[in-house]
Amino acid sequence: MPPLPDPNAVFLNVPYDEEFKSLYIAYIVGLYQLGLVPHLASEIPGGDRRLNRIFGLIKSCRYSIHDLSRIELSAAPLIVPRFNMPLELGMTITWANLHPSRHTWFVWESEPYRLQRSASDLNGTDPYIHNGTPEGVLRELSNAFRRDRMPSVPGMLDDYRFVDNNLNAILYKNGTRNPYDRSVFLELCWLSKNLADLIRPAGPTA
Amino acid sequence: MRKPIHITAPRPTLEELEKHFRISKARKKELQALVDEFKAQLPHIEEAPLTLIEPEKRRKRASAA
Repeated sequence: MPPLPDPNAVFLNVPYDEEFKSLYIAYIVGLYQLGLVPHLASEIPGGDRRLNRIFGLIKSCRYSIHDLSRIELSAAPLIVPRFNMPLELGMTITWANLHPSRHTWFVWESEPYRLQRSASDLNGTDPYIHNGTPEGVLRELSNAFRRDRMPSVPGMLDDYRFVDNNLNAILYKNGTRNPYDRSVFLELCWLSKNLADLIRPAGPTA
Repeated sequence: MRKPIHITAPRPTLEELEKHFRISKARKKELQALVDEFKAQLPHIEEAPLTLIEPEKRRKRASAA
């Protein structure tokens, strides 16, 4: 049997693009608020083949979130579909089917019924719909995961805004413009974890 | 209907995570200053009244509307 995964670890399968960065920050902040720990393929150093590193990360995480909202055609001149997210989702589904007690995966989308058009084999899987907004990501994280003591979505949004407002300073300090760089990701995690440790009132329950 | 996953694993501590973060001490200090500044603004958030609507009242409101 493979080693047990980290029970709090969540593999984030998201697009590394400029338009997605607010949602990326919302995922990081929101997961820490729920006592979970996000992991990103870019955080793993080393010279091993990228696909092997990603698969190793998936296996070490108890959960994974696959955001398919940016599956679209890339910009000219080479107009091709973006296959990385579905490829990693496929690897994850295989792993979870082999070891169902060790991994649970979730699909996230921006619009209802988009998934049925882009990947009809996933019919029967209810995606979490975030409407392309940070608030939507935080709301759906609260719907997907529960803890005995839950933060309110407005409280999570406050923390999201704080981290988002500091992104440029973090990028500048790390000498990069890429928010998905390892050093930036780790600092975003550190900030989010610190904020998550603050005592917050619980939100209204539905 | 989809059921949320109830997480029972204990929350990780900052010390546990810091082994993974590997951020320099100087940088942590700078980031900590940012967090402290944010914390200073928190009281108004914690004191903000929460509007809790009981399910019964919510149903009545919905049926009245």
